[in-house]
Amino acid sequence: MNTVADAAGARAALVEKLQHALDALEQGDEAGWRRELDAIAAWRTQPMMQGLGRLARELAQTLGELPPTDAGELDDACARLDHVVEMTEQASHKTLDLAEQCRGYATQLKGMDLLPEQAALVDSIGKGLSEMALAQSYQDLTGQIIRRVAGIVRRVHEGFGALGLPPPEKTGTSELAGPAVAGLDRNAFSQDDADDLLSGLGL
Amino acid sequence: MRILIVDDFSTMRRIIKNLLNDLGYTNTAEAEDGNSALTALGQGSFDFVVTDWNMPGMTGIELLKAIRADDRYKTLPVLMVTAEAKREQIIEAAQNGVNGYIIKPFTAQTLEEKLGKIFERLGAAA
Repeated sequence: MNTVADAAGARAALVEKLQHALDALEQGDEAGWRRELDAIAAWRTQPMMQGLGRLARELAQTLGELPPTDAGELDDACARLDHVVEMTEQASHKTLDLAEQCRGYATQLKGMDLLPEQAALVDSIGKGLSEMALAQSYQDLTGQIIRRVAGIVRRVHEGFGALGLPPPEKTGTSELAGPAVAGLDRNAFSQDDADDLLSGLGL
Repeated sequence: MRILIVDDFSTMRRIIKNLLNDLGYTNTAEAEDGNSALTALGQGSFDFVVTDWNMPGMTGIELLKAIRADDRYKTLPVLMVTAEAKREQIIEAAQNGVNGYIIKPFTAQTLEEKLGKIFERLGAAA
């Protein structure tokens, strides 16, 4: 009912403004009819302006709720993700090295005079080592996922940059950094550094 | 039988190489993306290509298209071993002439089966 009443009211208002514009035009009052038409145009764009205003408020609110980050932190996060891929790659190669080495030993054992049950055990060990090597394919799969996430973070970062939004203010809380990343955590301590410090402290 | 293994992850190249060795295919070479794979193909004679799909530089599907478009390699068997598991992607690979498609993670048995199937089909066609 309200919308019907609103629509009727809006129509009456529009008719009135158009009538005023027509009157002004007929009387040669250029400033008058332009003013009326501008009022109609402004009235027409009002819902859009309200919608944009609401979107802007929602965006500001959402940004306010995000944890404080700046460009440096996002770059740092991506570099850490890249580092995870490298670390898992190295660990996987190490595992593959050892699995291959142990398979070599198993093959050597098979060349010796073994009891049937011993030979069966050596076969089982060889099979287990093959499975272990194949399980290292997790490194490829997790690496692909991590690279994808890093790509998304980089694009979000670029998107914020393009919007020209100021970085939210940082809060004073310091978080635990987790494992040190070579090249990123310049102040990271090695075990030797830690031992030196501890002995300096009398421990 | 000389096999080219194409994957951007060195761990996966090594795993595939080891599995192929276990199956008796000991003559292998490696490339880290489609571009280096095409260079390798141009330099040496290969009888088979095992390729990943998602690689920086030239992807596996682009490599497949390049292989099929080149008179020198157009009959070269290509087995795709990839984490890409969408229906449309598998169809795209098939339409571009892939000979087999393995989704990661996979087992040694799957690799053996798919290779066997490819050789069986090629034997029947020849």
